[in-house]
Amino acid sequence: MRNLLVLPGFRFVLHGAIAAAAWFALITLNNNVEPLTSYYLALIGMYATAMFGMTILVGLSGQVSLGNGALMAVGGYVFAITSLNWQTVPILGLPWNALWSMGFAAVGGVLVGLLIGGLAARLRGPYLAGLTLGVAVGIPAIANRFPGLLGGENGLMLTVPYPEGGYTTESAVEVESVDLLPTDQPELATEQAPLEDEVTGDGDLLTLDDFGGGASSPAVEPSMAPDDLLTADDVMGASAAPSLDPGTDAGALDSGVADAGGLDAGGLDASDAGLLDGGFVLEHWQASLSITVACILGFVALNLVRSRQGRVWQAVRDDSIAAAVSGISPAGSKVSAFVVSSLFASLAGAVFAQLLSYVGPGAFGLGLSLSLLVGIVLGGRSSLLGAIIGAFLLVWMPVAVDGLSTNRGWPEQVTNNAPNLLYGLLVVIVVLVVPGGVTGSLQRALAPVLRRVGSGTK
Amino acid sequence: MTTFIEYLLGGISSGAIIALMALAIVLIWRSTRVVNFAQVGQAMFTTYVALTVRDATGSWLYALVVAIIAGGILGLIVHWLVIRPVKRADTSGAIIATFGVLIALQALAGMVWGGDTRGYAPPVSNEGIELGGRIWPFSAYDVLVVAVMIALVVGLTLLFTRTNIGLQMRASAFNPEVARLSGVRVSRSLALGWVIAGMVGAVGGVLVAPVSNVSPNSFDILLVFAFTAAVIGGLDSLVGAVTFGIGTGLVISLVSGYSDSSNAPVVALVLLALNLLLKPDGVFGHHNSRAV
Amino acid sequence: MLTVTDLSVTYGAVRALSGVSLSVPPGEVTAVIGANGAGKSTLMRTLAGLVKPASGSASLNGVTITGRKPEDIVRMGVALVPEGRSTIPDLTVEENLRLGGLWRSRVERMASQEEVFNLFPILGERKGLRADTLSGGERQQLAIGRALMSEPRCLLLDEPSLGLAPLIVTQILELVSRLARDSGLAVLLVEQNAVTALRVATTGVVLNLGEVVQSGSAEAIRSDEQLRHAYLGY
Repeated sequence: MRNLLVLPGFRFVLHGAIAAAAWFALITLNNNVEPLTSYYLALIGMYATAMFGMTILVGLSGQVSLGNGALMAVGGYVFAITSLNWQTVPILGLPWNALWSMGFAAVGGVLVGLLIGGLAARLRGPYLAGLTLGVAVGIPAIANRFPGLLGGENGLMLTVPYPEGGYTTESAVEVESVDLLPTDQPELATEQAPLEDEVTGDGDLLTLDDFGGGASSPAVEPSMAPDDLLTADDVMGASAAPSLDPGTDAGALDSGVADAGGLDAGGLDASDAGLLDGGFVLEHWQASLSITVACILGFVALNLVRSRQGRVWQAVRDDSIAAAVSGISPAGSKVSAFVVSSLFASLAGAVFAQLLSYVGPGAFGLGLSLSLLVGIVLGGRSSLLGAIIGAFLLVWMPVAVDGLSTNRGWPEQVTNNAPNLLYGLLVVIVVLVVPGGVTGSLQRALAPVLRRVGSGTK
Repeated sequence: MTTFIEYLLGGISSGAIIALMALAIVLIWRSTRVVNFAQVGQAMFTTYVALTVRDATGSWLYALVVAIIAGGILGLIVHWLVIRPVKRADTSGAIIATFGVLIALQALAGMVWGGDTRGYAPPVSNEGIELGGRIWPFSAYDVLVVAVMIALVVGLTLLFTRTNIGLQMRASAFNPEVARLSGVRVSRSLALGWVIAGMVGAVGGVLVAPVSNVSPNSFDILLVFAFTAAVIGGLDSLVGAVTFGIGTGLVISLVSGYSDSSNAPVVALVLLALNLLLKPDGVFGHHNSRAV
Repeated sequence: MLTVTDLSVTYGAVRALSGVSLSVPPGEVTAVIGANGAGKSTLMRTLAGLVKPASGSASLNGVTITGRKPEDIVRMGVALVPEGRSTIPDLTVEENLRLGGLWRSRVERMASQEEVFNLFPILGERKGLRADTLSGGERQQLAIGRALMSEPRCLLLDEPSLGLAPLIVTQILELVSRLARDSGLAVLLVEQNAVTALRVATTGVVLNLGEVVQSGSAEAIRSDEQLRHAYLGY
């Protein structure tokens, strides 16, 4: 076993299995909870996606950045603009869909990340934090500069890209993938008729599979996935295809694809029925989108963190001169950490845009950047598990405080501010007392147990 | 041309306020090698204190004095409870901790005073002065702001260059070990740096309040401007902080005047990025200051 | 009289000094010599309060100084001139000197400054200049001058020869030894350069791997062939 762990191929498969298992468990969970809980799951997935990048940037590479909220804005805006303005893919002429938008969001994030990272690599500690603070405040403000394109202060409303509406292409993928399943569900074909009617107008959409990398690609797989990701998709697709998307499951089709509202009692009741959802619930769909993106990127992050590159980032963080003497380029390492975290942030931003059906400077302001920093510090700066715990804390704390407040009858201004007060104080306490955050202290306490299943970083 | 002069005039007093905040940041950087990103949070908090005192007493001056005292105390608390205990090896820690303080202070202010934006009436007219048949964008209040800034800068310069306390503070900042070996109580000097910075920030907060109004977040943008000015000035230099604080105010006023005020943060970002690219140690900085 | 009794210092698991005892009488220069890593600088930093000893003590005229803070020890009359001409480059010569005795009254300070300027006239000429404009030898003089501003009864000199031309080193050390004789100052001089140190010192102490291996008159140590070969490497 120990020897096997050394083989890169095995590690790759192991990470794929971890990501796939997490994905399957979360999707299952998602299908069995109330819409509101699903929405929280969606937010957690979105935060976790962004914070995987923060783990690499702040934790491993040691660059305290406040700019990641702004990089999320880049992703969100690129997603919004491309999906609002482009009907076909430029040059290729293919019909547009949300996957393309996410791909462009990723490209946008990487480009901006390169730009900022190139600057940031020259800077140390407080200079970097200050520059990225400027980024956090400055980039969302650009929206005000171009009210026509970017919607100014008011932002842009998106057509919610759930399967029945803007995501017809998603449905097409689903139809294809469901067809490939063993035909022990004879009613499927007929039940899908309405859906197929909906997409027959653009049958060529099925070519989407070509870039999806496999017939069973998850509904929201980002198109920018590097080649090595395909193995993970295979793992995921094979194990989880039947429940890919609650909106297009066989069960969902049974009761008719309707009910975009998602909040009504029908969706709620049906969600108790198990994997197969009784109706389309927007929150369930949003959560599965967010979870899928988080799991895919979590897999990417896991591979990066546990690779040579992960050790390079840490080496430069701990002693850039020693690293340089060993033939590592400190600047290159810092820029690459920035670019990777930008990629993560922009995809998280694209997910965020879909969760909110909206992008605007307010949603991506300094507060968001600070939240990401809080989350990563509380969870554990240099651990991917810490990013997940941090994401959970960011979503759970306000809910918990709200619950307390309703019981105790606190005034509104106390309730609204209590989570942030707690975050601020906790951040200080964590920095002073347990710099490793939740995972850091857990790891210290349970070092032997966690060495295997933990983040793989120190 | 007249427009240009008007825009410049309009930038002077905001530049003076940016200069004060930049000064506070530089004071702390010099003493503790920490950029206090909570500086404007502290200033926001003390401005709320001033607002409360003002509501109770009706006196602008009294409110200012209480704010200054509160600023000093708050600076001392942040230094003793947050900055001093940060482990030296944890270079990211101090930066993150100051952001923790910023978040906590903003939340606390929202809790105590609510999230609504509150006005802060200036003690003297904020209307442009009429001269030669024109109304210039420079008010009696702007005169007051600039005068207070100049008085503070002169006072601080004298403190640092002419007094033993100032000498101890400078020595503690430049070389704590030699300072200790010379008998200087370094931790006291550093704490004093935080107290003075807190006071300067508090003055800046009370001065900016009539222009920006007061809300838990209304000073955020000031942090960006002040940091920009402090960095361009070299982070170590009081002269640099003041010069480029005013300079930043003028540039922002010009940009806002000729285009739109929403461009100001972007302009600050571009200024900062350009400066860090071309002259990473700032115009007035020493190169060795970054190696410390 | 500075008395060191059975002083031990550990850095983690490493023992930097073990059971060092020595005394520094007033009016004399006592030289501690030894190779790199013998624990010379650790001894000085411990006496000045920058390093806490694991055991043992040091006292000045019967008053214990170990366990106190550096800023208190200097006020008690033990002043360290650390290795590497430690002045504060951003301050002027005059400010560097003023820093050395800030707790004393203005009159006392001015008197001490006058003495320093008499001892090192070049500092008087350059008093308005920033310390980083001075040459290496001038900066070493300034560092010693700063320590003298506290009117110490015991002066600790850590490697004053480091990076200086031999002629300048000799000049400075001879000034220091004359000062010791004239004003009854106890001087503890740490040197890697044993020849120079033993020339001005009355007593010599040889330190090796944190332990005192030999002590006696400087003359005796200088002429001890065996000692020279074993520890001093010449």
